[in-house]
Amino acid sequence: MQPCDAPLSDEMLLVYWLRETSTDETDQIEAHLFACAECAARLERTASLGMGLNELVRQGRLSGMVSPALLNRLQRDGFHLRLYALSPGDTVPCTVFPGDDFVAASLHADFSGVRSVSLSVTAPDDSTLREFEDVPVSGAEGELVWALPAAVVRQFPSMRLRLTLTSAGQDRAVLGEYVLDHSAFDPASG
Amino acid sequence: MPPVVDLSDGDLARAVAAREPGSGGLAEGELYRRFAPRVRLYGLRHLRDEDAAADLVQQVMLLTIEKLRDGSVRDADQIASFVLGTSRMMARDVRRQEWRRSKLRETYMPPPAPETRHGGELLDLDRLDACLARLAERDRLVVLLTFYAERTPREVQQELGVTEGNVRVIRHRALQRLRACVMSREEGP
Repeated sequence: MQPCDAPLSDEMLLVYWLRETSTDETDQIEAHLFACAECAARLERTASLGMGLNELVRQGRLSGMVSPALLNRLQRDGFHLRLYALSPGDTVPCTVFPGDDFVAASLHADFSGVRSVSLSVTAPDDSTLREFEDVPVSGAEGELVWALPAAVVRQFPSMRLRLTLTSAGQDRAVLGEYVLDHSAFDPASG
Repeated sequence: MPPVVDLSDGDLARAVAAREPGSGGLAEGELYRRFAPRVRLYGLRHLRDEDAAADLVQQVMLLTIEKLRDGSVRDADQIASFVLGTSRMMARDVRRQEWRRSKLRETYMPPPAPETRHGGELLDLDRLDACLARLAERDRLVVLLTFYAERTPREVQQELGVTEGNVRVIRHRALQRLRACVMSREEGP
Protein backbone atom coordinates (compact mmCIF):
# COMPACT_ATOMS: atom_id res chain seq x y z
CA MET A 1 0.00 0.00 0.00
CA GLN A 2 1.39 3.39 -1.01
CA PRO A 3 1.91 5.65 2.03
CA CYS A 4 -0.37 8.68 2.06
CA ASP A 5 1.39 12.04 1.89
CA ALA A 6 -1.68 14.05 2.99
CA PRO A 7 -3.86 11.78 5.13
CA LEU A 8 -7.41 12.86 5.85
CA SER A 9 -8.09 13.32 9.55
CA ASP A 10 -10.25 10.80 11.40
CA GLU A 11 -12.78 13.57 12.04
CA MET A 12 -12.94 14.43 8.34
CA LEU A 13 -13.51 10.77 7.46
CA LEU A 14 -16.21 10.56 10.11
CA VAL A 15 -18.13 13.65 8.98
CA TYR A 16 -17.84 12.44 5.38
CA TRP A 17 -19.29 9.06 6.33
CA LEU A 18 -22.08 10.74 8.29
CA ARG A 19 -22.92 12.90 5.27
CA GLU A 20 -22.21 16.12 7.14
CA THR A 21 -19.83 17.49 4.51
CA SER A 22 -20.71 20.08 1.87
CA THR A 23 -20.86 19.04 -1.78
CA ASP A 24 -17.42 20.56 -2.44
CA GLU A 25 -15.91 18.83 0.59
CA THR A 26 -17.51 15.55 -0.43
CA ASP A 27 -16.06 15.83 -3.94
CA GLN A 28 -12.58 16.60 -2.59
CA ILE A 29 -12.67 13.79 -0.06
CA GLU A 30 -13.90 11.26 -2.62
CA ALA A 31 -11.21 12.27 -5.09
CA HIS A 32 -8.65 11.63 -2.35
CA LEU A 33 -10.21 8.34 -1.21
CA PHE A 34 -10.23 6.86 -4.70
CA ALA A 35 -6.56 7.66 -5.11
CA CYS A 36 -5.45 6.67 -1.61
CA ALA A 37 -5.73 3.11 -0.34
CA GLU A 38 -4.54 4.09 3.15
CA CYS A 39 -7.31 6.63 3.80
CA ALA A 40 -9.87 4.33 2.15
CA ALA A 41 -8.85 1.57 4.58
CA ARG A 42 -9.20 3.98 7.51
CA LEU A 43 -12.65 4.99 6.30
CA GLU A 44 -13.60 1.32 6.08
CA ARG A 45 -12.78 0.88 9.77
CA THR A 46 -15.02 3.83 10.72
CA ALA A 47 -17.79 2.64 8.42
CA SER A 48 -17.66 -0.89 9.76
CA LEU A 49 -18.09 0.36 13.32
CA GLY A 50 -21.17 2.31 12.27
CA MET A 51 -22.60 -0.66 10.40
CA GLY A 52 -21.74 -2.94 13.31
CA LEU A 53 -23.63 -0.68 15.72
CA ASN A 54 -26.67 -0.75 13.46
CA GLU A 55 -26.44 -4.52 13.24
CA LEU A 56 -26.35 -4.82 17.05
CA VAL A 57 -29.58 -2.83 17.26
CA ARG A 58 -31.08 -4.82 14.38
CA GLN A 59 -30.35 -8.00 16.35
CA GLY A 60 -32.21 -6.55 19.34
CA ARG A 61 -29.07 -6.16 21.43
CA LEU A 62 -29.60 -2.56 22.50
CA SER A 63 -29.36 -2.25 26.26
CA GLY A 64 -29.16 0.71 28.61
CA MET A 65 -30.46 4.25 28.63
CA VAL A 66 -32.14 5.38 25.46
CA SER A 67 -33.38 8.81 24.46
CA PRO A 68 -36.81 9.62 22.99
CA ALA A 69 -35.27 10.01 19.51
CA LEU A 70 -33.69 6.57 19.77
CA LEU A 71 -36.99 5.15 20.95
CA ASN A 72 -38.82 6.76 18.03
CA ARG A 73 -36.31 5.38 15.56
CA LEU A 74 -36.69 1.86 16.97
CA GLN A 75 -40.45 2.07 16.57
CA ARG A 76 -40.12 3.52 13.08
CA ASP A 77 -37.90 0.57 12.14
CA GLY A 78 -40.62 -1.82 13.19
CA PHE A 79 -39.26 -3.01 16.53
CA HIS A 80 -41.91 -3.92 19.07
CA LEU A 81 -41.35 -2.03 22.27
CA ARG A 82 -43.20 -2.74 25.48
CA LEU A 83 -43.06 0.51 27.36
CA TYR A 84 -43.95 0.99 31.02
CA ALA A 85 -44.37 4.60 32.12
CA LEU A 86 -43.65 5.38 35.77
CA SER A 87 -43.99 8.52 37.87
CA PRO A 88 -42.12 8.89 41.17
CA GLY A 89 -43.55 6.52 43.80
CA ASP A 90 -45.23 4.25 41.24
CA THR A 91 -45.21 0.48 41.44
CA VAL A 92 -46.03 -0.98 38.05
CA PRO A 93 -46.62 -4.65 37.23
CA CYS A 94 -44.65 -5.64 34.18
CA THR A 95 -43.71 -8.61 32.06
CA VAL A 96 -42.58 -9.49 28.55
CA PHE A 97 -44.69 -11.06 25.83
CA PRO A 98 -43.92 -13.14 22.75
CA GLY A 99 -43.13 -10.81 19.87
CA ASP A 100 -41.60 -8.10 22.06
CA ASP A 101 -38.17 -6.91 20.90
CA PHE A 102 -37.42 -4.54 23.76
CA VAL A 103 -38.85 -3.79 27.17
CA ALA A 104 -38.44 -0.25 28.42
CA ALA A 105 -39.22 1.73 31.56
CA SER A 106 -39.98 5.38 30.97
CA LEU A 107 -39.16 7.26 34.16
CA HIS A 108 -40.78 10.64 34.65
CA ALA A 109 -39.52 13.15 37.19
CA ASP A 110 -39.02 16.85 37.73
CA PHE A 111 -35.70 17.48 36.03
CA SER A 112 -35.72 21.26 36.65
CA GLY A 113 -32.16 22.51 36.88
CA VAL A 114 -30.77 19.02 36.40
CA ARG A 115 -28.36 18.37 33.57
CA SER A 116 -27.56 14.75 34.24
CA VAL A 117 -28.71 12.00 36.55
CA SER A 118 -27.75 8.60 37.88
CA LEU A 119 -29.99 5.57 37.86
CA SER A 120 -29.57 2.66 40.20
CA VAL A 121 -31.43 -0.63 39.76
CA THR A 122 -31.73 -2.67 42.94
CA ALA A 123 -32.77 -6.29 43.45
CA PRO A 124 -35.15 -7.44 46.25
CA ASP A 125 -32.15 -8.32 48.45
CA ASP A 126 -30.89 -4.71 48.10
CA SER A 127 -28.00 -5.71 45.89
CA THR A 128 -27.33 -3.30 43.05
CA LEU A 129 -27.96 -4.88 39.67
CA ARG A 130 -27.08 -1.96 37.44
CA GLU A 131 -25.89 1.59 37.86
CA PHE A 132 -25.93 4.25 35.17
CA GLU A 133 -23.90 7.35 35.89
CA ASP A 134 -24.09 10.79 34.34
CA VAL A 135 -27.03 10.16 32.06
CA PRO A 136 -27.87 13.40 30.21
CA VAL A 137 -31.38 14.87 30.48
CA SER A 138 -32.54 17.58 28.11
CA GLY A 139 -35.30 19.46 29.89
CA ALA A 140 -37.50 19.89 32.95
CA GLU A 141 -40.33 17.94 31.35
CA GLY A 142 -38.04 15.18 30.23
CA GLU A 143 -38.26 11.49 30.69
CA LEU A 144 -35.56 8.93 31.03
CA VAL A 145 -35.91 5.56 29.37
CA TRP A 146 -34.15 2.38 30.40
CA ALA A 147 -34.41 -0.32 27.76
CA LEU A 148 -33.48 -3.99 27.75
CA PRO A 149 -33.62 -6.59 24.99
CA ALA A 150 -36.76 -8.68 25.40
CA ALA A 151 -34.58 -11.78 25.04
CA VAL A 152 -32.77 -10.77 28.24
CA VAL A 153 -35.95 -9.94 30.16
CA ARG A 154 -37.40 -13.35 29.24
CA GLN A 155 -34.69 -14.91 31.42
CA PHE A 156 -35.65 -12.87 34.50
CA PRO A 157 -37.49 -14.63 37.36
CA SER A 158 -40.45 -12.91 38.97
CA MET A 159 -39.06 -10.14 41.19
CA ARG A 160 -39.47 -6.55 42.27
CA LEU A 161 -36.86 -4.17 40.90
CA ARG A 162 -36.37 -0.83 42.61
CA LEU A 163 -35.18 2.01 40.45
CA THR A 164 -33.75 5.14 42.04
CA LEU A 165 -33.08 8.28 40.08
CA THR A 166 -30.72 10.84 41.60
CA SER A 167 -29.31 14.07 40.24
CA ALA A 168 -25.66 13.82 39.31
CA GLY A 169 -23.18 16.11 40.99
CA GLN A 170 -22.48 16.89 44.61
CA ASP A 171 -26.00 17.15 46.03
CA ARG A 172 -27.20 13.75 44.69
CA ALA A 173 -30.85 14.62 45.35
CA VAL A 174 -33.31 11.79 44.87
CA LEU A 175 -35.59 12.69 41.95
CA GLY A 176 -37.75 9.61 42.05
CA GLU A 177 -38.09 6.03 43.23
CA TYR A 178 -39.97 3.49 41.15
CA VAL A 179 -40.77 -0.20 41.43
CA LEU A 180 -41.12 -2.63 38.56
CA ASP A 181 -43.06 -5.65 39.78
CA HIS A 182 -41.87 -8.14 37.20
CA SER A 183 -43.63 -11.43 36.42
CA ALA A 184 -41.52 -14.07 34.77
CA PHE A 185 -42.11 -14.67 31.07
CA ASP A 186 -44.86 -17.12 30.29
CA PRO A 187 -44.37 -18.56 26.77
CA ALA A 188 -48.08 -19.32 26.59
CA SER A 189 -48.99 -15.67 27.19
CA GLY A 190 -49.80 -13.12 24.57
CA MET B 1 8.11 -5.76 -15.49
CA PRO B 2 7.65 -5.54 -11.68
CA PRO B 3 4.96 -7.62 -9.98
CA VAL B 4 1.51 -6.09 -10.43
CA VAL B 5 1.17 -5.35 -6.71
CA ASP B 6 4.13 -2.97 -7.00
CA LEU B 7 2.76 -1.07 -9.98
CA SER B 8 1.43 2.45 -9.59
CA ASP B 9 -2.29 2.87 -10.33
CA GLY B 10 -1.42 4.33 -13.73
CA ASP B 11 0.95 1.52 -14.70
CA LEU B 12 -1.59 -1.02 -13.52
CA ALA B 13 -4.27 0.56 -15.69
CA ARG B 14 -1.85 0.48 -18.64
CA ALA B 15 -1.15 -3.20 -17.98
CA VAL B 16 -4.89 -3.95 -18.06
CA ALA B 17 -5.30 -1.89 -21.22
CA ALA B 18 -2.32 -3.52 -22.94
CA ARG B 19 -3.33 -7.03 -21.85
CA GLU B 20 0.32 -8.01 -21.88
CA PRO B 21 0.84 -11.77 -22.18
CA GLY B 22 0.83 -13.32 -18.76
CA SER B 23 -0.10 -10.13 -16.95
CA GLY B 24 -3.60 -9.27 -18.19
CA GLY B 25 -5.49 -11.48 -15.72
CA LEU B 26 -3.18 -10.64 -12.86
CA ALA B 27 -3.42 -6.94 -13.56
CA GLU B 28 -7.19 -7.05 -13.70
CA GLY B 29 -7.25 -8.94 -10.42
CA GLU B 30 -5.00 -6.38 -8.80
CA LEU B 31 -7.09 -3.51 -10.19
CA TYR B 32 -10.16 -5.12 -8.70
CA ARG B 33 -8.42 -5.73 -5.35
CA ARG B 34 -7.33 -2.10 -5.20
CA PHE B 35 -10.47 -0.31 -6.28
CA ALA B 36 -13.38 -2.59 -5.41
CA PRO B 37 -13.19 -1.76 -1.66
CA ARG B 38 -13.21 1.96 -2.46
CA VAL B 39 -16.20 1.63 -4.76
CA ARG B 40 -17.97 -0.45 -2.09
CA LEU B 41 -17.38 2.28 0.51
CA TYR B 42 -18.63 4.89 -1.94
CA GLY B 43 -21.73 2.77 -2.48
CA LEU B 44 -22.31 2.26 1.23
CA ARG B 45 -21.89 5.95 1.93
CA HIS B 46 -24.29 7.05 -0.78
CA LEU B 47 -26.70 4.14 -0.96
CA ARG B 48 -26.58 2.88 2.66
CA ASP B 49 -27.26 -0.65 1.50
CA GLU B 50 -24.89 -3.61 1.34
CA ASP B 51 -26.57 -5.28 -1.65
CA ALA B 52 -26.72 -2.06 -3.62
CA ALA B 53 -23.06 -1.35 -2.83
CA ALA B 54 -22.10 -4.86 -3.96
CA ASP B 55 -23.99 -4.34 -7.23
CA LEU B 56 -22.24 -1.03 -7.72
CA VAL B 57 -18.82 -2.66 -7.29
CA GLN B 58 -19.56 -5.26 -9.96
CA GLN B 59 -20.91 -2.75 -12.45
CA VAL B 60 -18.18 -0.15 -11.94
CA MET B 61 -15.30 -2.59 -12.08
CA LEU B 62 -16.66 -4.37 -15.15
CA LEU B 63 -17.13 -1.11 -17.00
CA THR B 64 -13.71 0.18 -15.92
CA ILE B 65 -11.96 -2.93 -17.26
CA GLU B 66 -13.97 -2.81 -20.49
CA LYS B 67 -13.14 0.86 -21.00
CA LEU B 68 -9.46 0.25 -20.33
CA ARG B 69 -9.39 -2.61 -22.82
CA ASP B 70 -11.11 -0.71 -25.60
CA GLY B 71 -8.91 2.33 -25.08
CA SER B 72 -11.67 4.65 -23.86
CA VAL B 73 -9.69 5.71 -20.78
CA ARG B 74 -7.56 8.48 -22.23
CA ASP B 75 -5.23 9.04 -19.29
CA ALA B 76 -4.35 5.86 -17.40
CA ASP B 77 -2.70 7.92 -14.67
CA GLN B 78 -6.16 9.31 -13.88
CA ILE B 79 -7.67 5.85 -13.37
CA ALA B 80 -8.76 6.72 -9.79
CA SER B 81 -10.74 9.69 -11.13
CA PHE B 82 -12.23 7.48 -13.83
CA VAL B 83 -13.37 4.90 -11.27
CA LEU B 84 -14.82 7.65 -9.05
CA GLY B 85 -16.68 9.24 -11.97
CA THR B 86 -18.05 5.87 -13.02
CA SER B 87 -19.12 5.19 -9.43
CA ARG B 88 -21.01 8.49 -9.33
CA MET B 89 -22.74 7.83 -12.60
CA MET B 90 -23.68 4.26 -11.81
CA ALA B 91 -24.76 4.96 -8.22
CA ARG B 92 -27.67 6.92 -9.64
CA ASP B 93 -28.81 3.87 -11.63
CA VAL B 94 -28.24 1.50 -8.72
CA ARG B 95 -30.25 3.81 -6.48
CA ARG B 96 -33.20 3.53 -8.81
CA GLN B 97 -32.82 -0.28 -9.09
CA GLU B 98 -32.41 -0.59 -5.34
CA TRP B 99 -35.57 1.39 -4.70
CA ARG B 100 -37.49 -1.13 -6.81
CA ARG B 101 -35.72 -4.06 -5.17
CA SER B 102 -36.33 -2.81 -1.65
CA LYS B 103 -40.02 -2.60 -2.39
CA LEU B 104 -39.96 -6.25 -3.47
CA ARG B 105 -37.87 -7.21 -0.45
CA GLU B 106 -40.16 -5.44 1.99
CA THR B 107 -43.00 -7.44 0.54
CA TYR B 108 -41.44 -10.88 0.28
CA MET B 109 -38.21 -11.21 2.27
CA PRO B 110 -36.63 -10.25 5.58
CA PRO B 111 -33.51 -8.07 5.14
CA PRO B 112 -30.25 -10.07 5.13
CA ALA B 113 -27.75 -9.44 7.90
CA PRO B 114 -25.02 -7.18 6.49
CA GLU B 115 -21.47 -8.40 6.65
CA THR B 116 -19.50 -5.83 8.60
CA ARG B 117 -15.77 -5.76 8.20
CA HIS B 118 -13.16 -3.97 10.22
CA GLY B 119 -9.85 -3.39 8.49
CA GLY B 120 -10.60 -6.20 6.06
CA GLU B 121 -11.60 -8.65 8.79
CA LEU B 122 -15.10 -9.51 9.88
CA LEU B 123 -16.13 -7.32 12.77
CA ASP B 124 -16.74 -9.26 15.97
CA LEU B 125 -20.21 -8.08 17.00
CA ASP B 126 -19.97 -9.63 20.47
CA ARG B 127 -16.82 -7.67 21.06
CA LEU B 128 -18.38 -4.48 19.71
CA ASP B 129 -21.34 -5.03 22.03
CA ALA B 130 -19.02 -5.40 25.02
CA CYS B 131 -17.01 -2.34 23.97
CA LEU B 132 -20.16 -0.28 23.55
CA ALA B 133 -21.24 -1.23 27.07
CA ARG B 134 -17.93 0.09 28.40
CA LEU B 135 -18.60 3.60 27.14
CA ALA B 136 -20.04 6.23 29.49
CA GLU B 137 -23.82 6.53 29.11
CA ARG B 138 -23.57 9.96 27.51
CA ASP B 139 -21.01 8.74 24.98
CA ARG B 140 -22.96 5.58 24.20
CA LEU B 141 -26.10 7.61 23.57
CA VAL B 142 -24.29 10.06 21.31
CA VAL B 143 -22.80 7.19 19.29
CA LEU B 144 -26.17 5.43 18.91
CA LEU B 145 -28.02 8.63 18.05
CA THR B 146 -25.38 9.41 15.44
CA PHE B 147 -25.04 6.06 13.74
CA TYR B 148 -28.32 4.30 14.32
CA ALA B 149 -30.79 7.19 14.57
CA GLU B 150 -28.76 9.22 12.03
CA ARG B 151 -29.08 12.42 14.07
CA THR B 152 -26.96 15.46 13.29
CA PRO B 153 -24.93 17.11 16.07
CA ARG B 154 -27.58 19.84 16.20
CA GLU B 155 -30.33 17.29 16.73
CA VAL B 156 -28.28 15.44 19.35
CA GLN B 157 -27.75 18.77 21.10
CA GLN B 158 -31.51 19.26 21.34
CA GLU B 159 -32.00 15.68 22.46
CA LEU B 160 -29.37 15.55 25.18
CA GLY B 161 -28.86 19.18 26.13
CA VAL B 162 -25.17 19.02 25.22
CA THR B 163 -23.70 21.77 23.04
CA GLU B 164 -23.20 21.00 19.35
CA GLY B 165 -19.44 21.36 19.67
CA ASN B 166 -19.46 19.01 22.62
CA VAL B 167 -21.46 16.47 20.66
CA ARG B 168 -18.72 16.43 18.00
CA VAL B 169 -16.01 16.03 20.63
CA ILE B 170 -17.89 13.25 22.46
CA ARG B 171 -18.62 11.49 19.17
CA HIS B 172 -15.02 11.66 18.02
CA ARG B 173 -13.59 10.40 21.32
CA ALA B 174 -16.20 7.71 21.77
CA LEU B 175 -15.45 6.37 18.33
CA GLN B 176 -11.74 6.34 19.04
CA ARG B 177 -12.39 4.38 22.23
CA LEU B 178 -14.66 1.95 20.45
CA ARG B 179 -12.12 1.42 17.68
CA ALA B 180 -9.29 0.87 20.15
CA CYS B 181 -11.41 -1.51 22.21
CA VAL B 182 -12.52 -3.55 19.19
CA MET B 183 -8.96 -3.81 17.95
CA SER B 184 -7.43 -4.84 21.29
CA ARG B 185 -8.30 -8.50 20.84
CA GLU B 186 -5.92 -9.84 23.39
CA GLU B 187 -7.52 -7.82 26.18
CA GLY B 188 -10.89 -9.18 27.31
CA PRO B 189 -13.88 -6.82 27.26
